[in-house]
Amino acid sequence: MNAIEVNHLSKRYGQVQALNSLNLQVKAGSVYGFLGPNGAGKTTTLRILSGLARADSGDVIIDGAGDGVARRASDHLGYLPEEPAFYAWMTPLEFLNYIGEIFHLEAKLRKKRVGELIELVGLKDAQKRKIGGFSHGMRQRLGFAQAMMNAPDVLLLDEPVSALDPAGRKEILELVLSLRSRCTILMSTHILADVERVCDTIGIIHKGSMVIQSERNELLNRYAVSAIDVELANGSAANAEAIMEEFKQIEGVKAVGVDQTLIHVHTPEVPEVTQRLMKRIVADGIQINKIEVVRPSLEDIFMQLTCEGRVQA
Amino acid sequence: MSNIDVLIKYLPLLIPIVLLQIGLMIFALIDLARRERTRGPKWMWVIIIVLGELIGPIVYLVVGREE
Amino acid sequence: MNLWSAFKKEVLEQARTKKLLIAVILLAAFGMLSPLMAKLIPDIFASIPSLASYSSLIPPPTVNDAVAQYVKNLTQFGVLLALLFSMGAVAQEKDKGTAAMVLSKPMPRSSFLIAKFMAVSLTLAIAMAAAAIGGYYYTYFLFEPLKATAFLEMNGLLLLYMLVYAAVTLFFSSLTRTQFVAIGGAAGVLIVFNILAALPNLGKYAPEAMISNAIALMLGQPISNWWGLWVGLITIGVALAGAWLVFRRQEL
Repeated sequence: MNAIEVNHLSKRYGQVQALNSLNLQVKAGSVYGFLGPNGAGKTTTLRILSGLARADSGDVIIDGAGDGVARRASDHLGYLPEEPAFYAWMTPLEFLNYIGEIFHLEAKLRKKRVGELIELVGLKDAQKRKIGGFSHGMRQRLGFAQAMMNAPDVLLLDEPVSALDPAGRKEILELVLSLRSRCTILMSTHILADVERVCDTIGIIHKGSMVIQSERNELLNRYAVSAIDVELANGSAANAEAIMEEFKQIEGVKAVGVDQTLIHVHTPEVPEVTQRLMKRIVADGIQINKIEVVRPSLEDIFMQLTCEGRVQA
Repeated sequence: MSNIDVLIKYLPLLIPIVLLQIGLMIFALIDLARRERTRGPKWMWVIIIVLGELIGPIVYLVVGREE
Repeated sequence: MNLWSAFKKEVLEQARTKKLLIAVILLAAFGMLSPLMAKLIPDIFASIPSLASYSSLIPPPTVNDAVAQYVKNLTQFGVLLALLFSMGAVAQEKDKGTAAMVLSKPMPRSSFLIAKFMAVSLTLAIAMAAAAIGGYYYTYFLFEPLKATAFLEMNGLLLLYMLVYAAVTLFFSSLTRTQFVAIGGAAGVLIVFNILAALPNLGKYAPEAMISNAIALMLGQPISNWWGLWVGLITIGVALAGAWLVFRRQEL
């Protein structure tokens, strides 16, 4: 069953076609990584899903309850905008209490819920300070708390970590991981490593259309180019070109590239070719710093799909 | 009764107004001192608050403050 | 229910951002100053040598002068506050993104707007109450006791007059993301109504006619028509309905 279904969504801002017949399906209970370069239409999609913007055409069904008007689902929806904004004169306690009131939480329950959320995002020490003086990371965490107020079935996160430092990023991603299985999460980002870490499904959007949508592992298996990197030590660095030519002759090697002292060997048969490579290195007396199997990377798929335009899925 | 006497006679009635004005001025000055950022330079706001009678502090509080 | 939550938030905001304090002090000060000025102006003239010779031309001040000063000052500053306090009400929330935070949740946009108008109304009402108390006692000490009910009715009309411009400013604030555009639009309406008020036959149709009605009410003079009041009320209704129509489907 799909928790979010978007069909042929189009939206134009003046001369810019922000969304061009976008299709998107998020299975209930999954963590969906919504990937795309800046300006691809990620934020526009999330704004339409949260009811803040309206599509020119197409429809949106959230949690099976919608009928093209996402706002009606707002009771079951949590939304964290890219830059969450708060009333600077309020404290986190007051802000979350206000959000709780909007969801009609009864006073006792509200107090409990606000306490839990403050605890969850680690703002206990700052709960009575003015939000006006908060750092970016604290705002993001408070934004996360307000999005969770109604224990939503569907959580929309717009670039939740892109503006944070590594420590802050880790914290937020761990929060996302901890929510897995409790709700459906649609998270937009352009940081691939984060998606690899937390998402089980991936959709890549480019110029307002879905380029590919698939389970993460399936996507990696289908598109990733496996490679072995050999970094030459100083003694052999001068011969990089010759060594590259030599590696090309090894059985099972598809292609070889060289980048200063680093030689990339592309192959579909990683274990076998690694062995053959090492034998050759020893036999020829090539000095190396390291030899490494490169994990199939989303980066490669991403570049492949968004740079060359559309690729048939 | 001379005109000056008239003014002195009504002086007590001026006191609450003057107190309000001074109170507001002090309040605005404290707010200004604590604030990290203002629209326009701080020294300008000090002049406006001190010399602007009632209106000076209010102009500062309405347009000069920035969160 | 959400209207009540939004209203509480707006009132708290008025207090925390010191808007309430500013309004109370400013209007209270002019409530007291107005009768005092009316009383002292001839004496001030007389005490300045170069103007002393004109002082005999000024008739001795009466309670009517006190009322006139009071009405003139409070309408001017009250309208100024109504404009300043409403200009950013919606525009700034849109610009900063707080409107998007709250309105992506089950908060109806109508409640969001109405709460803002109610909160500004409350602030101005409290400030007018302070002004009325000050003005009443100062007039009492300096001139004579005013008729309390008539004075109350007059203040009510003045408050309503200010609210006309609070509603108009709120309308412009919901149109734009820039608060200075909002105050500019409201100032434009203020100018148009004031020009209308100055025209001989049409003047009675401007909300400004409420002010002369208020004075007449206070002084026990006959009032020929209440057009100003009706136009004022209609303007409030139209401005708020317009704000809702504009804001209802606006993208945030």
